[in-house]
Amino acid sequence: MEKVLQVDMEKCTGCRTCEAACSLRNTGRAQPARSRIKVIRYEKRGEYHNYIPMVCQQCTTPLCMEACPTNAISRSPDTRALLVDEKACIGCRVCNMVCPVGGVSIDPVTNVAFKCDLCGGDPECVKCCYPEALSYVSKDKLDVSLKRARSAKLSELFTLMESLR
Amino acid sequence: MVYGWAGKTLHVDLGTGKTSTVPWDKEGKRFLGGRGGNAWLFWKHTKAGMNPYDPEAPVIFGSGVLGATGLIGASRMEVTVVSAAKTETHSIGNVGMGGSWAPELKYAGYDNIVIKGRAEKPVYLYVYNDEVEIKDALGVWGKGTFDAETLLQEEVGDEDAQVASIGPAGENLAVQATVEHGYRSGTPVGSSMGAKKLKAVVVRGTGAVNVHDPDAVMELNRQLVKTVKDTKKRLGEAIPRGEGKDAYLQGFLVGDAGVVGNYESHAWRERPDVKKAYEENYLEEYFVKNVGCFGCPFPCQPLYELPDVGACIWRCYPTYWPWKLWMTDLASAFKGTRMMSDLGMDNKEVATVVSWLMHLYNDGLVDAKDLDGVSFERGDPEALFETARRIAYRDGYGDALADGPVALAKKLGKKATDYLYHNQGLTMRTFEFRAEPGTALGEVISARGNSLRATTYHVVLWDKPAREGYAGVDPKERDASYEWSRRLFGTEKAIMATEYEGKPAALIYEMNGAAIADSLGYCATMIRPGRTGAPGSQFGEASYQFAADRFKAVTGLDVDEAALFQYGERICNLERAIVVRDGRTRAAETLPNFFFEAPILDGPQAGKKLDRGRFEKMKDEYYAIRGWDPETGTQREPTLQKLGMADVAKELKKMKKLAQEKAAKEG
Repeated sequence: MEKVLQVDMEKCTGCRTCEAACSLRNTGRAQPARSRIKVIRYEKRGEYHNYIPMVCQQCTTPLCMEACPTNAISRSPDTRALLVDEKACIGCRVCNMVCPVGGVSIDPVTNVAFKCDLCGGDPECVKCCYPEALSYVSKDKLDVSLKRARSAKLSELFTLMESLR
Repeated sequence: MVYGWAGKTLHVDLGTGKTSTVPWDKEGKRFLGGRGGNAWLFWKHTKAGMNPYDPEAPVIFGSGVLGATGLIGASRMEVTVVSAAKTETHSIGNVGMGGSWAPELKYAGYDNIVIKGRAEKPVYLYVYNDEVEIKDALGVWGKGTFDAETLLQEEVGDEDAQVASIGPAGENLAVQATVEHGYRSGTPVGSSMGAKKLKAVVVRGTGAVNVHDPDAVMELNRQLVKTVKDTKKRLGEAIPRGEGKDAYLQGFLVGDAGVVGNYESHAWRERPDVKKAYEENYLEEYFVKNVGCFGCPFPCQPLYELPDVGACIWRCYPTYWPWKLWMTDLASAFKGTRMMSDLGMDNKEVATVVSWLMHLYNDGLVDAKDLDGVSFERGDPEALFETARRIAYRDGYGDALADGPVALAKKLGKKATDYLYHNQGLTMRTFEFRAEPGTALGEVISARGNSLRATTYHVVLWDKPAREGYAGVDPKERDASYEWSRRLFGTEKAIMATEYEGKPAALIYEMNGAAIADSLGYCATMIRPGRTGAPGSQFGEASYQFAADRFKAVTGLDVDEAALFQYGERICNLERAIVVRDGRTRAAETLPNFFFEAPILDGPQAGKKLDRGRFEKMKDEYYAIRGWDPETGTQREPTLQKLGMADVAKELKKMKKLAQEKAAKEG
């Protein structure tokens, strides 16, 4: 079954271990600026700390692929990840402009598009994510864990309602 | 190619506005980086007995060797200054903290920043890769550290910029002031920034850190995550500070470590009504989530949010000082912690002086009119809030207190001085030294003084362990710990809190280990050997091989545990050279008479006090193992030479701070 990189932002601690792991795996050096995944932080010290990992969602209808003037983006038959052909890419940034989640950008070193390729079906970021904000799950199980987590409070309420009956 | 180290030091002079970048010097590499690297820069850039507020006194920021390399757990920053808080003998003061600042510094391309000079008006330093600017800080001067961080990120237009700042306490030169980064702070070093009119150091980097063997680093990370997951399955809640419930808090609640009041009681904690109130006041319902340091996915920074107060990390420290103030009201303790983090001041320093004032007040030695009408009733959180505020803004009695507790004691009279227990002007940590000789030795013999990270804390096995899952409950685990202790220190007594025997060796093992961790920029909780049941044991290693493996993967330097310990030994010797240069003597390395004279009044350790003869004997042994002169506590030339520190020995010799060698006579 095809697998999907699932993000549960409620579990993210903002540690960015994923960014370090991604750059190590893909560039051989530690450099979050070249990570395919990025944790966006909304923080106000003393008030709130929200962390949202942003990464390519491997869209069903990939606008990046549609928009690419040189057909440099294609879908892997194995992992269904969208892959960049670095030789074909001209660095025009059109993919970046149309992407709904900012999942594809231009690498500051190679100057061509770079994005999550699911590490060929074995994503490094997931392995380091102890809180399991990132998981790599079968498509048919997708969202179930999120739904379960979000419904936990309702379940408590349900028990309470039962007890009042 | 340089691996691990960024390879550059940034020098900034706030007086002239000049900045320059120099390659990280090879000699400095002897001391790794982080705390050791900072100590080396401190040694080079300070003079004996330097005034903390001398414009030439440097404020040194550093990141460790392993920082920013993608290794899990390597996020620590170190700030080193001439300590203003050590009011009795100014010398090196340093603080280590996690967060994201240190990695950001390395991605900007630097291992360290050395800041000298004094700005004419408030400034902050902005480092964006190789662009370095000294910028006007008038807009944030006077603000708390929370607002300052947000405003400075807005001003530089980058929410990924990392901020280390001081609050009003630092601006007003209160010796209790800290440098704050993301609620993470501790030892007071902040007033040194205030004296330079330096509000903050803002760093942002987009560069790379080279790693010798990226595959090995990734594999070490995978293994570590797996080990911790497996341990969690096995032990559940026992993982220290796991999942929002602060295990430290529970440990201290039932252990013997905590002191009530100003060393006034222990039994109070065991009183059923107090215990019940404490447990009922756990703040679990206000837990929001865990917040991580850069590159570490494990939960140890629980974020809480209290209605009408706000959010803050609820760390281990503030969970046990409430006893010092006879408080069971943890919501007020939380409020105090948050307030002090925002004002930029050390929780422990402030809480301890309040416990001292409460002691004086309770014994009728001071009253409210001596202290601007503030009441110091035991357990009253207002005394804490008011004191914190008054110190930070130098208001009323806070003005003297901001110069250190010794200054206020002098104003309040002889009795107040007698009741004040301090180490070089720093307040004592909240341990019962009278029952823990090894902890007592660490408190006074470490270079920094007053350091949780530099003492036997982690190798101590409390005779009376925490209720469940903590050190030594399981007889099998206890026996394994004893075996470990015998193997390393020759006696199981070395890890028994109340014993004297074997303590100097155990302490040196801990101090060298802490120096390694702090200098690699690695989290001490994770890197310390996981003696069964101790904090850190969830990381599954039983030796510093854990650290050696990581050092090798990152730098390519093939070191084993023993070679790594040489680094630790060297760093401790450099810090020793610094404090001896600045006036430390054997005679100074002792605790206030109180701890030798007044027995513990109640609780499981009632009747215990330190034995001066045995304490001095521990010192003899400690100096001997270190290769120092037992008579004076100064270092011996051959010891330093063997460590590759002949240059340091030479300097000390010039200052007549090296031990006199008797070899010539004997030969």
